[in-house]
Amino acid sequence: MIRLDRVSYSYPRATSPALNDLSVDIPAGQFCAVIGANGAGKSTLCSALAGFVPHFYRGRLTGTVEVAGIDIAASSLAELAGTVGLVFSNPFNQITGARFSVRDEVAFGLENMGVPRAEMETRIDYILQFAGLAGLAERPPFALSGGQQQRLAIASVLVMRPRVLVLDEPTSQLDPVGSREVFTVLRDLAATDEATVVLAEQKLEWVAAFADRVLVLHEGRLVADGLPGDILASPDLQRYGLEPTRYTRAARAAQAAGLRPEGDTLPVTLEQAAEFFA
Amino acid sequence: MSGTYGLYVVRQTGIHRLHPLTKLVYVLVCLLIGWLIPGVWSPYIVLLIGVVPVALIARVLPEVIKNTIKTAIPFAISLIIVQGLFWTGGTIVRQLGPFSLKAEGLLFAIRGTGRIILAVSGFLLLNYTTRSDELMLALSQKGLPNSISYVVLSTLQVIPRFQRKANTILDAQRSRGLETEGSYLIRMRALMPLVVPLLLGSIVDIEERAIALEVRAFSREGAKTSLLVLHDTRFQRAIRWLLMLGAMAVIGWRFYLWLAPRLA
Ligand SMILES: Nc1ncnc2c1ncn2[C@@H]1O[C@H](COP(=O)(O)OP(=O)(O)OP(=O)(O)O)[C@@H](O)[C@H]1O
Ligand SMILES: [Mg+2]
Repeated sequence: MIRLDRVSYSYPRATSPALNDLSVDIPAGQFCAVIGANGAGKSTLCSALAGFVPHFYRGRLTGTVEVAGIDIAASSLAELAGTVGLVFSNPFNQITGARFSVRDEVAFGLENMGVPRAEMETRIDYILQFAGLAGLAERPPFALSGGQQQRLAIASVLVMRPRVLVLDEPTSQLDPVGSREVFTVLRDLAATDEATVVLAEQKLEWVAAFADRVLVLHEGRLVADGLPGDILASPDLQRYGLEPTRYTRAARAAQAAGLRPEGDTLPVTLEQAAEFFA
Repeated sequence: MSGTYGLYVVRQTGIHRLHPLTKLVYVLVCLLIGWLIPGVWSPYIVLLIGVVPVALIARVLPEVIKNTIKTAIPFAISLIIVQGLFWTGGTIVRQLGPFSLKAEGLLFAIRGTGRIILAVSGFLLLNYTTRSDELMLALSQKGLPNSISYVVLSTLQVIPRFQRKANTILDAQRSRGLETEGSYLIRMRALMPLVVPLLLGSIVDIEERAIALEVRAFSREGAKTSLLVLHDTRFQRAIRWLLMLGAMAVIGWRFYLWLAPRLA
């Protein structure tokens, strides 16, 4: 579904590339997390998948980015809208402001795509239900909490039925309650097994909980690619400026203190930790 | 202000249910007639027979009166002072110290005030009875570019947020002991450190907003649809045509009045 072949990219006037010789294949239905320290290139990768690199930011892109069979460089933003959905951190900036209710806000993308009204109605009802917003349908979007607004942003993009959903740290500006709400929606999405999702995320405990696969970026390069359990428990993580989950840290401390044997698989989720320490 | 749809006041009346264009055309024609028909009192007559009864039926008359007065009074006062006292020549009605009040100036000010009152009350009547998203949709259907309708609607929603944000910052500064009351200059000084973050914040956000709009296919070409449905009737369409014909007749007549003496 997503194919990157030797992709390098530099922002205009940048001295070093933000993406450096990236190659990766993501099959349909996979929930793929992208982790990496600040400045590692996560946001740039997200922008490249949605076409804003290079069509919005300009700059120099080499190699091929292909999403759902479309060559991004040869396509246009207007064409990519509806094929790739993008959600980013600031919920407030993702609300159009041109619609006065949650329901109308969700409709905005469908209206622009020219979807017939009757179909809009069913799709909106379904997605509001999915995002847990059904009870807020008539509320003004700006009157919602951060977590609700971010779920609205996700719903507004999902309702367009993109082939690929890209989320760039969707909870980094939310409080813990809002973050939990958003992750609950993402977990439901992961459980459907149909959506192809790329999630840039710093909160590794959530990544461990539902990603099918984890990519690690470091200074624009893809430095690791594998299952969450392997990647997140790997001792290399700190080299890339990432902090392991508290479960892994606790387990490692237990090993260092000689309470647990070395060589056991380290836990990355609560369930695995319970097993590890049992 | 109901807050949700701009100025819209939620009421279940026939006026509220009219097609937005019917109300828009009606208000514009009222303004046109009140402004173009000669005579000091013509704006007031149009106000009384054109705007007031409709506002009454729509049950928004108190709101219209209140906010028209609020907006129009400063204009009226300055008009009367400037035109009444500083009219050159003309009949003196009353001597006020070194100034003399002139009849012609006064009449001019009365007509000017009437025009402003008519324009403000017409605008309020339209906006109190019409959701701005429905009005913009109606205009888009008549060919208004989507970008214009987007700018109008998002501005309407962002202004109250902006005010709230500004007030929060002002409150914070007041509690820190910063002078926020008093002379204009003092208030300006208190506002300066507020304007910068407000503006800078939005400049940084503009890039993200542009991206978010693109994601929602805003710049896609081709036919668009809409979730809102506007109810129009053949009767309202006929009324709109009649109103526009009437307006055209008034314009023609006014033009004739202007042209005739010049040709003679
Ligand atoms: N609009 C831009 N113009 C120029 N350079 C940029 C721009 N956005 C990012 N960069 C640079 O590109 C590199 C990668 O940044 P990117 O935002 O993709 O990292 P990130 O992994 O998303 O980091 P964070 O965790 O802080 O969001 C950084 O060196 C950054 O300074
Ligand atoms: Mg980022």
